Amino acid sequence: MKSIGIWGWVATAILFVLLLLAPQLAPRLHLALTICTDVLLFAIAAMAVNLLLGYTGVLPFGNAAFFGLGAYGAGLSIQNFHVGFITSLAIGTLAGVVGALLIGPFLLRRRGIYFALLMIAFGQVFYFIAYRFTNVTGGEDGMNFTRPALEGFGIHLQDAGFYYAILLIFTLVVAGFWLLVRSPFGRTLVAIKQNEVRARYLGLNTDRFIFVALLISAAIEGLAGACYGLSIMFAYPLLLDWHQSGDIVLMTILGGAGTIFGPLVGAIIYVIGEDILSTALPWWQIPLGALFVACVLGFPKGLLGTALDLLPGRKNRIEPGHDLDFAAPIIADRETTR
Amino acid sequence: MTDFKVDRKTFLTTAAIASAGAAAGFPTILRSTASAKDVIKIGLDYEYTGVYAAYAQSETRGAMMAMDAWNARGGVMGGTRVTTVSEDNDNNPGIAVEKARKLVNVDKCAALMGSINSSVSLAVSGAANAMNILYIDSGGHADAVTGADCKYSTFRTCHSTWMETHATGFSLGKKFGKKWYLITPDYAFGHALDAGYRDVAKKIGATIVGDDLTPLGTTDFSPYLTKVLGAKPDLLLVLVQGDDFVNCLKQAHEFGLVGKIPIGGPQVELEAVWALPEAARVGFWGVEWYYKGANVLGTNNKLATNFVNEYRKKYHTPPTARSAFGYITMDRLLWGINQAKSTNAAKIAHALAGAKFQTIFEGTTYYRAADHQLMWPMWLGGIRAKGTPQDKYDVFDIVDRQEPDSIEQSIAEKAKVCKMVWP
Amino acid sequence: MAHIAPEIFNGLILGAFYAVVAIGLSLIMNLTGTINMAHGSFMTLAGYLAFALIGAGTNYWYALAIAPLIAVVIGILMERTMIRPLYRRDPVYSLLLTFGISLIAEEAFRLIWGPNGVPFSPPKVLSGSISLGFTTFPVYRLFIAGALVVIIIALVIFLQHTRYGLRLRAAVQDREMISALGTNTQLLYMINFGLGILIAGIAGVLAAGMLSLNPQSGNSLLMPAFVTVIVGGMGSLYGAIVGGLLIGLAISLTTLYLPAASEISMYVIMAVVLLVRPRGLFGEEGIFG
Repeated sequence: MKSIGIWGWVATAILFVLLLLAPQLAPRLHLALTICTDVLLFAIAAMAVNLLLGYTGVLPFGNAAFFGLGAYGAGLSIQNFHVGFITSLAIGTLAGVVGALLIGPFLLRRRGIYFALLMIAFGQVFYFIAYRFTNVTGGEDGMNFTRPALEGFGIHLQDAGFYYAILLIFTLVVAGFWLLVRSPFGRTLVAIKQNEVRARYLGLNTDRFIFVALLISAAIEGLAGACYGLSIMFAYPLLLDWHQSGDIVLMTILGGAGTIFGPLVGAIIYVIGEDILSTALPWWQIPLGALFVACVLGFPKGLLGTALDLLPGRKNRIEPGHDLDFAAPIIADRETTR
Repeated sequence: MTDFKVDRKTFLTTAAIASAGAAAGFPTILRSTASAKDVIKIGLDYEYTGVYAAYAQSETRGAMMAMDAWNARGGVMGGTRVTTVSEDNDNNPGIAVEKARKLVNVDKCAALMGSINSSVSLAVSGAANAMNILYIDSGGHADAVTGADCKYSTFRTCHSTWMETHATGFSLGKKFGKKWYLITPDYAFGHALDAGYRDVAKKIGATIVGDDLTPLGTTDFSPYLTKVLGAKPDLLLVLVQGDDFVNCLKQAHEFGLVGKIPIGGPQVELEAVWALPEAARVGFWGVEWYYKGANVLGTNNKLATNFVNEYRKKYHTPPTARSAFGYITMDRLLWGINQAKSTNAAKIAHALAGAKFQTIFEGTTYYRAADHQLMWPMWLGGIRAKGTPQDKYDVFDIVDRQEPDSIEQSIAEKAKVCKMVWP
Repeated sequence: MAHIAPEIFNGLILGAFYAVVAIGLSLIMNLTGTINMAHGSFMTLAGYLAFALIGAGTNYWYALAIAPLIAVVIGILMERTMIRPLYRRDPVYSLLLTFGISLIAEEAFRLIWGPNGVPFSPPKVLSGSISLGFTTFPVYRLFIAGALVVIIIALVIFLQHTRYGLRLRAAVQDREMISALGTNTQLLYMINFGLGILIAGIAGVLAAGMLSLNPQSGNSLLMPAFVTVIVGGMGSLYGAIVGGLLIGLAISLTTLYLPAASEISMYVIMAVVLLVRPRGLFGEEGIFG
């Protein structure tokens, strides 16, 4: 099995040291620590997308539905049942999974663009529900809630404490993700991504694998959403909207779908970049849109993906999940499925 | 891995980390490093991009004029100058909270003001409270800001949704009659407006002959409008906002409703009227402040006339209600800091709560101590499609005025939902 | 009961709008797999261009003809420079690219024409309403209904009875073959995209007279159009027409009886259709999975 080499581990170690020191480093860089927290939790959300996009080969363009469900799940449980910190996160994660259970069966009937369109459409249904059921969700005004104390310790996590909690969650998710993609299950997903028909001929129930991948992705996305809700102490319908989906997908692709740390790189660039741009330029949506365009046209493998490709020996190696260009030209798709 | 390749890898990884660090360091280039001791910074957290950009701009302009006036008088707290730092929240509560935290933690702002969008106001109100920073909601109307979500550190300048419905409800009922038909947008704001008008109806004995809930983003109002024509009410209350409002009025004109049935509603922004096609410039609407008329500005109100003239000279269009919100908010915020001789939120809040003052409209006003809502009158205006011969911007004909105590909930009623926790 | 007839008529008009927008989307999707999230932006663009032309002194009819054409030119430029490189790649790219373009477009509209929208009215000859016996109806809507029918008929004629139409349909079926037979496929893609944008442009100018014209107005018709494509079926233009009318009617009628549910009615229809017939009412199995 391929390894990332000793220098890959060194890079990872340096990364985590930097992340651990963020509360000290951020002020020196004139960055609010809360932005760093946001980077981490959006990295988690992007990892959820990465699982589907980079490793399973489906287009999860409605993923924000799970993100928003996570935030509302956490918020509603805090507001109505006064649960603690970890419990609210767990409930948010569960909310994401429930969402996937509800719409998964519909999505599985299609692949490719259809899957993407369906997911967008169903995502909008959740958005509509959040908007409409004012009594429960606060409607378009959103929902305020407090950050609960940590169970057992009774302490309220603020600023640095909260950052470290999110960092811990991020580390656990990355580790779990790394194990997952190297497991037989993960390898099966990649096989499906590369050629689903062949996988089916080999006797694999691809629908079931994709469904499980969708559930795992929704769980991670829900967790990220719950973290975000706890971070801003607010939940609102826009979190479910397809623009939010687009942002998270962009982060994944910017960094590099199909790589482990691509989502983190993408989240760093996007979250911090958006913060800087929106302060500097009143018309910052234009460079943001231009970033989408430039990334799609120039860096389809994302920053990390392209950088890794430049390393000697990598290009010719069959790297599981690394190549985003999994879909052969449309014609070939059509012919194989006919 | 052979040795020379190790160098490439390390180089690339280090380069990646270094450039990420440099990119992250970019903010230092953009931010001024003026020492915080010389100035007091007020953070403006507004929707500078998106649908509300025009309103955000108006509010900021008003705020800047107030700030300039204070600085011209020597600043606050015995000579400290005031500056502002503005951040765009793009109509997004999450971004708004992030920006609020940035303004306070990185830019060291002493207090915050902002917002047009109610969800943004609510989110920032919570975030500011968590940081114990004073926040004045200049333009977000949701009742909850001074109701269920009230905070000791939050004040609100513009009228609440309840005030809007009650002011217009009383005026319109007086003017047109007691059979009402409502077209209500089916979301939180719409429900709140609906509940408000029903309360007014109960109080003045009006009957609601029809109430249609229109879904979010309705482009086609014809089914409702045909029903309205059939029901023949004395008054059609159009509660929808934004694009829906324009669509509804345009189509009301198409269907020949205009002129047959009087149309009214809780409020319309002057900036929005200027952007309406002439066919849609109809009806009687709540006006939170207007730049003309003794009924609004009073007679001999130097502050008001100076404000209007200076604004007009500087920006070539008249000030709108939004400009007034910004002006009053900044003016009182700085007064509060000056009075409390401190930037401590609790001290400023104690200074502001209940303090009576006069400003750019006729009458004495104050932020109520119970809920921190500014108690000021509201007016009713009929739209003149083409303005006046002298002034094409003068599209409102102010016909009535309601006093604050009759249009807002009583302190007792508010106390049922607003539980303020002081530090 | 008297309310139903005008409602059905309204629903059909609304549905025709969705159908026309869906056809534009479908044309572009079928041939090249490009999901055009910027379709709404082109509609808005055409509306604003018409507004600008009328403001410069031309009359409404001239603007109605010219604005979509300008939009087509811009669209083709975009297709040649940015979308063409993506033809051989996965649809997620075109989705993201056009999403990015829609963000740029929205902000650009805001910068040029302001965030509050602009007043746009149909010409005097089309305003007002006439009595149709069972109800009074706005003249402008009748005009729109007529225009949409003309567009649909013209499209059907083009696709079924002209050589280019034949080539387009052949290319959708088998791109390699038609290229081997000597057709310039790149030209075909360009014309196809241009056609899609032309339809969007005309729909945009028509919509501007009926709805508000502001930086976001094109997007309000986009989601129902996507649902129409899903319901009608991806490979099928007739599906887009039937799907659009169905959804338009559903929204209109639920508005009358169950207003709270009208927004969600199109998603309910979508879910039901997908359960019963996953490829859509008229969709072809195997195209795009």
